[in-house]
Amino acid sequence: MAHQNTPVDIHDEENYDPTVWVPKAHSHGTKGLWKTFWILLFLTILDIILYFMMDPGMLRNVIFIVLGVVKAAFIVYSFMHLTFEQKGLKMSIVLPMIFVVYLIAFLLTEADYLNSLNW
Amino acid sequence: MSNHAVSTNSTWAGGKSPFKVSYGKLMMWFFLLSDAFTFSSLLVGYGAVRFSFPSVDETEMAALREELPFNTDVHEMFHHHEGGFVGAMQEKGLFAETHWPAPELVFNHFPGTHGHLPLMFVSLMTFILIMSSVTMVLAVEAGQRMDKKKVQTFMLWTIVGGLLFLGCQAWEWTKFIGEGAKLYTNPFGPVTFAALFFLVTGFHGFHVLSGVVINIIIYINVLRGTYEKRGHYEMVEKTGLYWHFVDLVWVFVFTFFYLI
Repeated sequence: MAHQNTPVDIHDEENYDPTVWVPKAHSHGTKGLWKTFWILLFLTILDIILYFMMDPGMLRNVIFIVLGVVKAAFIVYSFMHLTFEQKGLKMSIVLPMIFVVYLIAFLLTEADYLNSLNW
Repeated sequence: MSNHAVSTNSTWAGGKSPFKVSYGKLMMWFFLLSDAFTFSSLLVGYGAVRFSFPSVDETEMAALREELPFNTDVHEMFHHHEGGFVGAMQEKGLFAETHWPAPELVFNHFPGTHGHLPLMFVSLMTFILIMSSVTMVLAVEAGQRMDKKKVQTFMLWTIVGGLLFLGCQAWEWTKFIGEGAKLYTNPFGPVTFAALFFLVTGFHGFHVLSGVVINIIIYINVLRGTYEKRGHYEMVEKTGLYWHFVDLVWVFVFTFFYLI
């Protein structure tokens, strides 16, 4: 690096140096974070209540998985600050998750074969 | 028309960060995406194996719930039974190799009591991990304001939360192994159930362990003023991303292993 002894402006947009460049950080406050905490706590308690109140079965399982995805979305968007990132970054993280949906669909059709294995 | 073939003002022309994040944070996001795929494979695979077995009979489960109310002393109740609680459940056909067991019968222990407390301990573990996620994000927020003192406090609480969670998991594993669950044997039901439990919660637990180690390293750097000198606390933000991801994975481990 050329600037060994001269102070580098780490936020400089014009002389962009990828090894040190960072955007200026600014706080978005803690109010939203606590709100996310209460939502996560509520949804987890709801999980436990539904486990004991509902009959076991596919409907209950689907509700659990949907609640899981909702919790995950709150963690990613609020705790991991994805909501404050650029649209392109959001898309590159969220869209590839479509492959997981593909995997689920794939294994649902394979489940018949797994059934016949009797491990 | 400008003489320059490439306009440096366009997003992808180079000379600036297209997503307006540092390279380190971007790579952390992509690493977490790949890790999300790893855990998805494990959990979707678990789901496929889980549903290749039928659940235990619900009318028998309902009858057992009548017999075994919340907080019953299971040691006292099954004291004279050969094989204790697990043996009694095997006799009833609720723990059988052909049927997936109900998680409320497998995970019903709580430290310091013999009471039947289904899913209460894992709820506590979930609460501990969510709480440590909150303290982590508060450390990140303090870092954005360059508030060294607050970063220190909240990083320390996050480390304490992580260690507590690991302690809980160690206790649960010890209990599960002590009752006879191994990689190749499982008195609770199908062998794959125990094997996948150890594989997936172990893989997650190892993520928590490495998260705690990374958090300790970052905490020491905060104490030494490394980030104060650097002019930003983005390392806290990056380790925070990893820590929240570990919490996110737990949401699904909890859903698949303890609820479904």
